[in-house]
Amino acid sequence: MRKIFAIVFCFVLVLSACAVPAATPAPAEPTKAVEQPAQPAAGGSITVIFPKHEADIKGAYEARIRQFEKESGITVNLIQSDWDSVANRVTPELATKGSAYDVVEFDNGWIAQWCGAGWTQPLDEYLPVDYSKGMIPGLVNLFSCPDGKVHGVVWNNDTRFFYYNAAKLEQAGFAQPPATWDELVSQSKEAIGKGVIKFGMAPSWNQEWSLGNEFHFWTYVFGGNLVDDKGCVVLDKDPNTLKAVQFMMDVLKDGTADPAGLTYNQAASQDIFLKGDSLFLPQGIAGLFSYVKDPAISKVQDQIKTGLVPATASGTSAALTLPEAYAIPIGSKNKEAAAKFIVYMTSKETNKYLAEQIGVLPIWTDLFSDPDLTGLYPYWKDFQAQLSTARGLSKITWYSDFVDLTNAELHKALAGGQTAQEALDNMAKQLAKFNCVP
Amino acid sequence: MKHRKQRRTLEGQENTLGWVFSAPALFAILIIVLIPLLRSFAQSFQQLDLARPAGNGWIGLGNYFALLKDQRFLNSLWITVRFSLISVLLELLLGLSIALLLNNNFKGRGFVRGLMILPWAMPSIVNAAMWKWIFNADYGALNAFLTQVGLMSAYKVWLSDPFWANALLIMANVWKEAPFTAIMLLAALQTIPTHLYEAGRVDGANGWQRFSRITLPLLMPVMLMVSTLQLIWGFQTFELITVITGGGPFSSTEMVALRVYATTFRSLSFGYGSAMAYLVFLVILIPVIFYTRESYKRIIDY
Repeated sequence: MRKIFAIVFCFVLVLSACAVPAATPAPAEPTKAVEQPAQPAAGGSITVIFPKHEADIKGAYEARIRQFEKESGITVNLIQSDWDSVANRVTPELATKGSAYDVVEFDNGWIAQWCGAGWTQPLDEYLPVDYSKGMIPGLVNLFSCPDGKVHGVVWNNDTRFFYYNAAKLEQAGFAQPPATWDELVSQSKEAIGKGVIKFGMAPSWNQEWSLGNEFHFWTYVFGGNLVDDKGCVVLDKDPNTLKAVQFMMDVLKDGTADPAGLTYNQAASQDIFLKGDSLFLPQGIAGLFSYVKDPAISKVQDQIKTGLVPATASGTSAALTLPEAYAIPIGSKNKEAAAKFIVYMTSKETNKYLAEQIGVLPIWTDLFSDPDLTGLYPYWKDFQAQLSTARGLSKITWYSDFVDLTNAELHKALAGGQTAQEALDNMAKQLAKFNCVP
Repeated sequence: MKHRKQRRTLEGQENTLGWVFSAPALFAILIIVLIPLLRSFAQSFQQLDLARPAGNGWIGLGNYFALLKDQRFLNSLWITVRFSLISVLLELLLGLSIALLLNNNFKGRGFVRGLMILPWAMPSIVNAAMWKWIFNADYGALNAFLTQVGLMSAYKVWLSDPFWANALLIMANVWKEAPFTAIMLLAALQTIPTHLYEAGRVDGANGWQRFSRITLPLLMPVMLMVSTLQLIWGFQTFELITVITGGGPFSSTEMVALRVYATTFRSLSFGYGSAMAYLVFLVILIPVIFYTRESYKRIIDY
C-alpha cells in the first residue's frame, strides 16, 4: 500500500514538474512591474494593464491616472510592465474570456486576431458621440473591426523615426544625413574608419517579438511586402523583400552594424545610441529627445537630430507605425467605468499633458500645431513628412504564429547560418498552413 | 492474543492519525495539482486552439503523432536533454569537489559554507539578468576579462554563436545549481563513519582507494537522488533561457519549457501545448522510475 502510494506520489511530483507552466509573464528584461493594490471607492474600481511607454521615465501616465481617480472616484488597479510581459498576460486572459482586466493593451499586431475572435467590447455605445472627431483618422480606423465598430482607442501613436548623431557625422565629414541606404553604409564606414564612431548602427535583432517589427520595417524601406491584403504569404516571391534581408545580413558582415545587435533588444539598441557609440538609429521612438536631454542616461545631448528614413536608390522613404490602443475585454464586469478611463486617458487634455511631460506624439490632429507643443518640440515639423509614409504591421489573425515562425529563420540568416533566399523559402514553407487565411 | 489485539488497535489508530494529519496536504495536492493535471491531460487529446476555435474538438492521439514529426519540438527536446545531462554531470563533479573540500576542517569553514549557498539561494531571474550582462558583447565582464588577460584580442558576440550560447547557459546553470549538490553531498559525507576510513588506512588503502571504495559507494544514494532532482529541474529551466537568449540564436537554445510556453500562451494552442508537456513528462519518467526502483531496493536491503 505504502509502495503504491509512494509511486503515485512520485508520479504526481514528476507530472507537476513537467506540466504546462502557469500563465505568469515571461520577462524579456527584468523590468519592474508596477502593481497597485485595489482600494474600495465610491466610484468602484477597475484593473488596467498596458505597457510602460518607452519615453515615460517620469511616470507621467501614472500621475495622470491618479488624477483620473481623484476626478472620477474610480480606483484604478494599475499593472504596467514591459510589452512582452503584458502580452503574455493579456492574450490568454482574453482568449479565455476572463474578467481579470477591465482595460487592456490592444496592440496593432493583434487587430485582425481580436476582431475575428470577438474578444473585445465594441466601444461605440460607451464613447461620447463624435468622440474621435479630431483624432488622426488613420488611427481611429485602424482599431475598427469589420463589424464597423470601434474596438480600441489609441493611447500611443508609436511611429518610429530616423535619428542620427549630427555632431559625429560632421566630424566624419558629412553635413547632411544619408538619403539612401548606400549612403548610410558609406558614411558609416567613413566614420568608423576615422575613429569617430564604433558602429554605424546597433540594431535590435535579438530573437524576440520585436524582431518581427524589424522584419516589417526593413522590408518596407526596401519597398517589399511580407503578406498581401488577402493574407497570402508573398515574402519568398518578392525581390525587394529578398534585398531587405540581404541588406540586413550585409551590414552585419561588413561592420556597418554592431554584430552584437543579434543579441540586443530595442532598449539596448537605443542605449548604445545614447552613449554615442552608434551613428544612426533607424527606428527611434518619438519621445527619444526626452532621453537625449537627460544627462543620467545620455552622453549625446545637443548632438542628435532627426531626418527622413533613407530610401533605396529607386524607392521612397517608409516608416513603421506601431500604435497601441486601450480596449475593454468582453469579459469585463466594469465596462462603464473602463470606458470612462479610456475617454479620460485619450482626451485632448490628457494627450497634451503627456506630450508636454514626455514628448509623446499626439493622437489629436490639431495638437501637432499647438504653439505650446511646437515650442517644446520644434522637430515635430520634421516628423510630419515621415508620418505620411508610415505603415503598420501585417493585419493577419495568425500574426503571433507569423512572428514565432519567421523569427527563427531570419535570425539564422542574420547569424550567417543560411542565405537570405533560404530563410525566406523556409519561412514560406512553415507558414504554408496559414497561407491566404486572412 | 490480548497483546496482539491491543497492538493491532494501536497500529490502526496510528494509521488513522497519519491519514488525518496528511489529509490537508493531500487535499491541497488534489485541488491545486491533480485536478489541473488531469484536465490538461484531457486537453492533450483535443484540438484546443483558443485563437481559432472553429476546429476545436477531440482528436485522440493526433497531437502526439504530430509532435513526433514536429522538428522544432524534437529539436527543443534534444537541446533540453543535452543541457540537462551535461549540467547534471558538471554539477555532480563540481558539487562533489566542493563538498570534499568543505568536509575538511579549516579556519572560516562555516563562513565559506554559508557563502557557497548564495548562488543557489539567488532568485533565478536575478541570476539570469546577471549572466546576461556578463555575456554582453559590448560591455560584458566576460569579454573585458578575457581581453585584459590576453586570451582574446577582440570582443566576441558569444550569444550569437549556437555552441557558445549553449555552453554559457550551461555554465550559468551549473553556477547556480552546484551549491545545492554540494550541500547535499556534504551532509551525506558527514554521516560516513570515520572508523571505515581508519580501517581502510590500516588495510593499506591509499587516498584514491578510500575514496572509490568507501566514500563513493556510500554517497551513491544521495548522488542518485540529487541527479534525479537536478535532471527534472534542468527540464524546467525557463527564466535562464528566456532572459539570456530568448531561445536564440535561431532557436539553438530553445528548450522545451520555452517551446511549451510559446505554443500554449502565445499561439494559444492549449491542446498541442499540453501534449508537449506530457510527452516531456514521459521522457523524464524513465530516470525517475529507475531512481524509485533503486531507492526501494536499498530500503529493502537495509
